[in-house]
Amino acid sequence: MTILFTILSISAISTVLSVFIVIAERFLNDYGECSIDINDGTRTIKVKGGDTLLSSLAANSIFIPSACGGKATCGLCKLVVTGGADELLPTEEPYLSDDERRSGIRLSCQIKVKRNISIVVPEEFFSIKEYKAKVERITDMTYDIKEFRFKLTDPREIDFKAGQYMQIKTKPYDKGQESVSRAYSISSVPSDKNAVELIVRRVPGGICTTYMHEYLKTGDEVILSGPYGEFYIRDDVSKYVFIAGGSGLAPIKSMIFDMIEKGMDKEMLFFFGAGSRKDLYYFDLFKDLEKKYDKFRYIPALSKPEPEDEWEGETGLITDVVSRYIEDEKNKHAYLCGSPGMLDACIRVLEDKGFTRQIVFFDKF
Amino acid sequence: MKQSPSMERIQEKMQPGRLTIKGFLGDDDRKLADIIYEDHGNITAAGVTNEEIADRMQHFTDIAAKGLGSPVKTEDIYIVSVDDHRGTIPCPFSDNFNAGKRNTRFENISLGITIYWSDLNIHMIKEHGFYEGKGSFFRIDTKDIAMILGLTK
Repeated sequence: MTILFTILSISAISTVLSVFIVIAERFLNDYGECSIDINDGTRTIKVKGGDTLLSSLAANSIFIPSACGGKATCGLCKLVVTGGADELLPTEEPYLSDDERRSGIRLSCQIKVKRNISIVVPEEFFSIKEYKAKVERITDMTYDIKEFRFKLTDPREIDFKAGQYMQIKTKPYDKGQESVSRAYSISSVPSDKNAVELIVRRVPGGICTTYMHEYLKTGDEVILSGPYGEFYIRDDVSKYVFIAGGSGLAPIKSMIFDMIEKGMDKEMLFFFGAGSRKDLYYFDLFKDLEKKYDKFRYIPALSKPEPEDEWEGETGLITDVVSRYIEDEKNKHAYLCGSPGMLDACIRVLEDKGFTRQIVFFDKF
Repeated sequence: MKQSPSMERIQEKMQPGRLTIKGFLGDDDRKLADIIYEDHGNITAAGVTNEEIADRMQHFTDIAAKGLGSPVKTEDIYIVSVDDHRGTIPCPFSDNFNAGKRNTRFENISLGITIYWSDLNIHMIKEHGFYEGKGSFFRIDTKDIAMILGLTK
């Protein structure tokens, strides 16, 4: 009898507390209108309190880079917060170095705007916009990679640097009730101002890649934002080494064609790692480019060619192939994009050849 | 088994469409606490621990990673490979752990068995004793896993 009474009492108390928390959330957590001071008074926006800093800014057309859509899994949405934020959250800790914490850097997706808040937003972020677009074309590149061409409808033009990425917002579908945002590198060239092309490899079980591969159709309307990212050609050197695998070809393709369009007279060496012939795409495009542009060299490498591939090109791991071709770092910069495992392995090879981290650029998200 | 409110919240996060399109539970309609409890019994009966299982899986994943996607043969009877994607996925147990989107294919040639696991599986087994629900793609059968991985005969 005592046990039953105890269980009932605990259950009753739990229920009362739960109801209280729900009511408190609804009425007591009303933070009213809060202001966000940007760049020391340069701009001030008024927002309804309670939402995250990332989404509050997005609602005011200020888009902060984020590859995970606010789930605290990419660590890209860093901003300096000079006042008004709560204490650092455990969800932010893995992404912030001691120096960053001392500088007041926070993940904007984790901070809730509960009072007036002051932040510093880098100037380049103000050029990031939201775009309405229509799917103009979907092309199968391999068995698990598709290329999507989006015609921009509002606004109709975009300025970006080759190598940057866009975010696409999914619509709720199947059993997913929430819209999610994910980042994909732009594969088209900046001169193609009325559209962007994205190359998307299907991730088994992935919410956004499944949406794009199975649900998105030609003519569908989508919401994009961008351009984001600092992965673009920076300094002027005489030789460029590009290394990519899988969908990591996207920003590299944009960079190579942009450089050629701009008449940059540079030596370019493009390594593309794949398993077998069925994983290669844009093979003819880059082979043709090699014929037209004598300073461009395309080196696709297959780690496991099938007999029917009749492959006569390079074989072996991409790391071994890069190691055979690259002797040293002199007058070179390296740009890499691909899976984290491939990137780490290739960076180690380049470091062995004398490349420092200052001349190796990569997009890892 | 009685399930705590926090476990209820975690189980909710494991539903399809929350963190992955298929979720973590397959067609298993048991409570999360029951799934973990029963799997713990199987692992204990096999004479191993979750940590030993996870460490063995990590060992094979590390070997597979050296192949950069190509299969690698090891210990004469295992063929392993990884499929690596960009991005991370958070642990549904809300412990602030984010795993890379890397899947390992593991083949035990002598038994003729192939299984798959993700980096997140290794973490969930080691830290939470969770092997996913029955019917889930990455579900690992806890009755045989120690033998399949070569930890027991």
